[in-house]
Amino acid sequence: MAALTQRLKELDDIERDITTAMQSAGQAILELSKDKPSLKQVESQTSNFVKTLENVENGLTKHITYLTQVSTGQAHEGSSYASQKDLSMAWHRIHHARARLMELERLKNKHMQ
Amino acid sequence: MSQQKTLSQNKEALLKSYNKRMKDDIKSMVDNFIEIIKLARVPQDEDSQVLRPLQNNQDQYEMHVRACNVVRAGECLMKLISDIKQYLVLNDFPSINEAISQNTRFDKNMQNECDSRLCLLRDDVASELYELEEEYYSSAYK
Repeated sequence: MAALTQRLKELDDIERDITTAMQSAGQAILELSKDKPSLKQVESQTSNFVKTLENVENGLTKHITYLTQVSTGQAHEGSSYASQKDLSMAWHRIHHARARLMELERLKNKHMQ
Repeated sequence: MSQQKTLSQNKEALLKSYNKRMKDDIKSMVDNFIEIIKLARVPQDEDSQVLRPLQNNQDQYEMHVRACNVVRAGECLMKLISDIKQYLVLNDFPSINEAISQNTRFDKNMQNECDSRLCLLRDDVASELYELEEEYYSSAYK
């Protein structure tokens, strides 16, 4: 379960990387639109854009390769239904006992008066 | 057997399509960005065969379209990540197995606790009934 959460978190990070890459691209173009653009700034934003996209590509490739290894294409047929049903029956037993005890208490109170 | 083969082929096709979508979108982002950077260069008069204002307008429109393409490719990548997440949740067998065994363990523990409490209650009620019985048989109501 922790592994799945970790993988979903990594995918969230990749999503953030995509927005970062697009922000870098925007910043680079914004710098170019100025009267006196700083070449250094443009280069750094552009290399940031390319680097982040490389990270995105590597991360996604890793996840897709993992999926190729673990999935079979068939739906998972296991479930925890049996144990849930057993637990629900245990709850019913408890509730039944509680109802009978309450009835007993009601009778006791009736005779105490 | 043939059904299993079809499922396996479907899975492979789907994962290949994920790979292709990823590569296409990233390539689209990089290519469009490079083209925008190229368009940002101010053309020399001898380079251009059309009028300067016309060229500027054309460049502006092209930049808009290419910027839209970058954004579209980014959105497609987001959609791809969402698809991968869904596929991961539904088809990551080791995690699903672990989640099922964790739930089963929890349910069994709760059930054992319920049953042990019920047993304690039964013992209490039995001892009370024993006392009540003795009281009844030694009383005048008998």
